Formats: sequence, structure tokens, C-alpha cells
Amino acid sequence: MVGYLFAAPIILAVLAFEFYPVFTAIFYSFTKYQPLQVQQLNNTIIPEDVLSMHLMVFPDDEGLTVEGLKKDFDLFFFIETDVGITLNEKQRAALQYFDSDQLLEDFLNGKLQKDIPIKEFMSNYMTQDANLFKRYVPEFVGLENFKDLTSDPYFWSSLKNTLFYTAIVVPIQTFLAVLLAVVANQKIKGRNFFKIIFFLPAVTSSAAISMIFKLIYSKPGVLNRMLGLSVDWLQNPNTALPAIMIMNIWTTSGYFMVTYLAGLQNIPGSLYEAADIDGATFWQQFRRITLPLLRPQIIFVSTMGIIGCMQVFDQIYFLIKNMRNVTLAFYIYRNAFEYSKMGYASAIAMVLFAIILIITVVQKKVVKEEAYF
Amino acid sequence: MKKRVVLFVIIALVAVFAFSQVELRVSGWGNPTEEAAIQEIIKQFNESQTEIKAVWEPIPDFTKQIRTMLSAGTGPDVFFVDVAWLPEFAGKNTLLPLDLYVRKENYDLDVFYKPLVDAFRYNGRLYGLPKDFSTLALFFNKEIFDQYGIEYPKGLMSFDKLLEICQEFRAKGYETPLVLEADFNRVIPFVLSNGGRLVTDDLDTALGEPLSREGIEFYCNLVNKYQVAQESANLGADWIGDAFGKEKVAMAMSGPWTLGFVKEQFPNVYNKMGVVQMPMEKEKATMIYTVSWSINRNTQFKDEAWELLKFATDKGQEIFVERTGVLASRKSIADQDTDVLKQAFYKGAEYGTAWNVPTPSGNFSEANDQINSRLKDLFYGKITYDEAFNQIEENYMKWVEVE
Repeated sequence: MVGYLFAAPIILAVLAFEFYPVFTAIFYSFTKYQPLQVQQLNNTIIPEDVLSMHLMVFPDDEGLTVEGLKKDFDLFFFIETDVGITLNEKQRAALQYFDSDQLLEDFLNGKLQKDIPIKEFMSNYMTQDANLFKRYVPEFVGLENFKDLTSDPYFWSSLKNTLFYTAIVVPIQTFLAVLLAVVANQKIKGRNFFKIIFFLPAVTSSAAISMIFKLIYSKPGVLNRMLGLSVDWLQNPNTALPAIMIMNIWTTSGYFMVTYLAGLQNIPGSLYEAADIDGATFWQQFRRITLPLLRPQIIFVSTMGIIGCMQVFDQIYFLIKNMRNVTLAFYIYRNAFEYSKMGYASAIAMVLFAIILIITVVQKKVVKEEAYF
Repeated sequence: MKKRVVLFVIIALVAVFAFSQVELRVSGWGNPTEEAAIQEIIKQFNESQTEIKAVWEPIPDFTKQIRTMLSAGTGPDVFFVDVAWLPEFAGKNTLLPLDLYVRKENYDLDVFYKPLVDAFRYNGRLYGLPKDFSTLALFFNKEIFDQYGIEYPKGLMSFDKLLEICQEFRAKGYETPLVLEADFNRVIPFVLSNGGRLVTDDLDTALGEPLSREGIEFYCNLVNKYQVAQESANLGADWIGDAFGKEKVAMAMSGPWTLGFVKEQFPNVYNKMGVVQMPMEKEKATMIYTVSWSINRNTQFKDEAWELLKFATDKGQEIFVERTGVLASRKSIADQDTDVLKQAFYKGAEYGTAWNVPTPSGNFSEANDQINSRLKDLFYGKITYDEAFNQIEENYMKWVEVE
């Protein structure tokens, strides 16, 4: 019991910040969730003012009658624009139960001067089906979002980009990090200096790095001057993604190097001594001792690398302009926060989630963590 | 014990006093000069009365963050709305209609330029008062024109005349006379000026109609067929104004924000540039970019917010224009502005079109991205005009539908 109590904060945090968002996202992926509509029924109105605006009269004007006002009263426009509810089909049909006469009578009697939440206002004047106006319910569309995915060229191109990116970056960064770690682990002069240099990109903010590379890759930039070319690396659709890959390999290799360094410290020196006595070369030692004993770290790094690469976002956000070169994570963001297609974005996120899950599970099944060569 | 009670009472009194003032949260964005001006407006507003205390809460990445805030119900009471997203924000009922206030107080909307007020109408309701505005005009570098012995461009010249000037430069050995971007809103004046339109009556795209298409083709031909124009990135510049300031080109079509930028970064260019109205073929056309002061429909302090709106677009606008050099939406303030370089922009406010495209969902950003990417392909001849227009016409409704 006490144990659970101690673990409660983290359990609650996981429930609130992992399970809840994940499950709502799954739900949203089957809907047309409209973020801007969520608060509509919570907004407050002063019904008298809203009616005055709609009818272009004030209740104390001379000679008003319910019958007279009814002619100018357009129920759908009143609800949709002046009260401010974006109606779905069910709500639209239910409006036949809206008691307009009562409303107009109350208007003339001055009973509508108080601030009131829209949902309460609706329940006051709906003779039936008032519960349709209790809270925002996103329109459920079943698998439509997923069906739309299949015919969306930008979804396929961003999926292709993401897989291509992962396929190139993960092996290179994994292997490069091993090399860096082995080099940094040698007893040579100034190795701490090298460690710092290699690790530095990992602690620099990706925004800062992106800005520097933007300058390097630009048309009048350093890279073109060194190569004597005039290519706009980030604008050209053929070079944009490889340019980002190189940058990312450079940033992450140093980070993963630290993982390997920790692994290298764990390899007993006696193994190398024995190998030396047996006359093994440096290369043989590397292949037969270092690599096999680093296996747990290699698996860790490649798994983390795959997950990280599949979700690559910030560098794309900062550097890529052309929609043809974006990755899935960025396309999700674009859909959710710019195109206001929250449901569609959730559907893409589910696909990305499934892909990462499958890759990781397969990887775990194929390469056993504990086995040695 | 007694001391504690007294202390508690004092604290409670202070709290009650502090909360008797209505706190109005105001959000928007701006560069440092603009923000300083807004803070000054807020300060003077707070001094002008006692009941309301406005607080400035800037949001840098505005478009994205405001959506999340509005959907969570934590949005500011008053905020800026760019006319480009007005259809979506108004259509989803996140903004408060101002018509009742206008009627109650007989508030005179004619003090503003008419297209600017109309820009913030949606479904017959008014959703904001214009903060300021920008239009597009043609910038030219007098020194380069003199050097090559070419006559200065005139405002409202024909499309052919523009092309002629460019070709004259090329003939005399000047590489890139003009800078253009593959940006749909920059193409719209060419579509409208040619007598074309953007959408049909049922909100489908009208870009494939002959007159619209002609305008777009003229724009893209400047880059790929006649090769007299380039994108700023190809000229080693960040944007159009940067290319113009660095004297990579003789002409550029841009807005008043370029004036301040060139003045600050390239003072010598500022002294030798001229600004005239946009070229026109059949009708005068330019793009109006404008931002409003609008009220959140979710606010508890509607009347107080309206007070702020009135102040900000009157006394506040005077401060804002004086400090930042933007164009005033209020005619009386605009009349005091005698800067020669700004006159072409003010003229544009009389006939320009506000930068948004009506769509079924209210959101045009996906279609905008898609069209821009086609424009870019057209610039570099990656697709033909037929292919581009076919793709746009086939997919357009998918880009603008309600999800």
C-alpha cells in the first residue's frame, strides 16, 4: 500500500500525460474534431443583446409584437451566427423544437438581460433534445480519415521521406558513434578535448544548429564556396533531405558516443591483453571483442535512433520550405495546427505510431539483447 | 492572534480592491518597435480610465498558439486577427460580432477606409476594427535605372510595359531586373487586374478560367519564359526586400514593411528608391494585408473590450503609426502622413482586395501551400501550365473542405 502511495505521483502523471492523450488521439482519429468549436457552448451571451443585434430593434422600441418580430426572425442565422453555434446535422434537425415564440415574448418582457452560458440558454428554449446542446461532440466519421490518407500524395511522400531518412541516418549514426567512442577511449593526448568536441553538438539547441546550417547550406554559403558550386541545398527538392540527414548525423553521433563510452568502460582490459598476447591486430580486436561486447548498447542506440528519426521534426520545421521534403511528424503538425484538421492529423499520428511499434517489436524479436556471438 | 486577524482583513481588502478592476488580457504579435508602441497604447488606455486594467500578453507564434488557447477556453479577451484567417475564426464563432455596439453608439465606420472595414465582415457581421494595413506597390532603384538609361516605371502601367522595361534591362546586359516569389498572394493582383477571379460562386476555384489563368501565366512567365525575374533565394537574399536592399534587382513588388527595413539596413538605397502603384492590365488591383483588433467571443468583459477597441483604433492608432511608420486605417490619421514613398500604398487601400480566399471550411492554408508548390514548379518548368491547372482544379475542393 505504502509502495503504491510512493509511486502514486508518477502513476498519476503517466495516466494524465500519457494514457489520456494517447486514447483521446485514437478517438479523434475517427472524428472530424474541430478545435475552434470546442468552447462554443460554454461561451456566455446576453440574450437580449444578441436578439437586438439579430432583429435590429431594442425591446423598449415602440409598437413591437411577437408576431411582428417573428417575420424578421431567422432561427438558423440567429443560432449559427448571432448566438454562435456551428450546427451539426442532428442539432439542425432538432431546432424544430426551439421555442421561438417564448423567446420573443421574453425579449419583449425584458426577461433576457442577464449573462447566461449558451448551453443553458439552449436548454431553456428547447422543448426537446436539449441534451444535443450540452457539450461539443466531434463528428464521428469512422475510418474516413484513414481512407483519405491512402489518396493523399503528401502523406505518401512524407512517409517515404521518413523511412528513407531513418534508413540512412540510423545505420550511419550508430556505426559512427562506435568509431568515435573507440577513438575517444584511446589513451591519446587531449582525448577529453575530443570528447567535448564530439559531444558539443548534442547539448546545443537544435534551433541554434539549424540556423547555423541554414547559413552553411544557403546559396552564397560556406559549403558552396568550398565546393565551388552554386546549389541551394535546402530549396532544391533533391538535396534538401540529404542535407538535413548529414546535419542530424553530425548532431546525434556525439550523443550516442557517450552511451558507447560507458559500454567500453565495462569491457575488461584483460580481454584485450589476452588478445594482444595471441597476436590479434587492432582491427581483429575491434571486430571480435569490442563490437560483440557492445551489443546491448548497439541495440539500445539503434532502437532509440529509429524512434528519434521516425519522429524527426524540429530540423524540418526550421529548414525545409518545400512540402515535398517534409516528414510525417511535420505533416501531422501542419494538419493539426495550420489546416485545422485535427482528426486527420490524429489519424496520421496513429499510422506513425503503428509503424514505430512494428519496427521496434520486429527488431526486438530478431536481435536478442542478451545473446553474445 | 488578533494581529493575524487584522493582517488577514487587510489582505482581503487589498485583494477585493485589486479585483474590483476588470483585467483585460490583450494579445498579439509584433517586432520590438511595434511591441513598444502597443505597450504605450495599453499604458495610455489604462491611464484614461479607472475601471479597466488592460494587460499586454504577446504571443510570438500566434496562429498556432491562439488556436490551442481558444479551444481550451483560455484565450485572451482582445486579440489581433489577420484578415487571412478571419473567415475561419469568424466562421467558427470565436469572435464577437460588433454590430450591436456600432448600432447602439452610432459608431461611425466611415472614418476607416472602406475596403479595410469590409475585410473584417463575415456573413453580414463585423468582427473587428482595422489596426493598420499594408498594400503592395512597385519599388524601383533610381540609380540602376539611370545607369542603364531606362525611363522610371510609372504607377499603374500595363503588364506589357513592365515586361518591356525588364527586357530592356536584359538587352543592356543587366541580369535580373525583378525579384518575385512563388507566393500565391503576390500573384493575386495579377489575376484580379487581368479581370480574373479567385473563386466561383459556389466557392470552387476559378483559377483555371481564362482571365485568371492568363494573369498567373504572365507572372510565372517572367521567371521561366522571359527569364527577367528570380526568386530572392537565388539572389542570395532572404526575402524580396532584402534582395532589393542589396541591389540585386532594379525592381520589386512589396509592401510598406520594406520601407522601414531598407531605411534601417541599407540607408543609401533608401535615398535612391521610388515607389509607384502596382501594374494594371484591365482593373486596378493590389493586395491588402490588414490586422484587426477583435474581441474573443468567450470573454466575460465584452463592454470593456469594446472600449479598448475604440481607444486602440483612434488615439492608439496615432501612437502606433507615429512610432512604427505603418499605414493608418483611419483616414484622418492617414491624411497627416505626407511621406512621398507611402502614397502609392495609401492609394492601394481605395481599390485593393483583402488577402483571404473564401472557402467552405474557412481555412485556406492547405490550398495555399499546394498552389505555392505548383507555382514553384512552374517557375522552374517542372510541370506545364496544363498540368498545374488540372491538378489544382481536380484537388481544390479536397484542400478547402471541412476537413
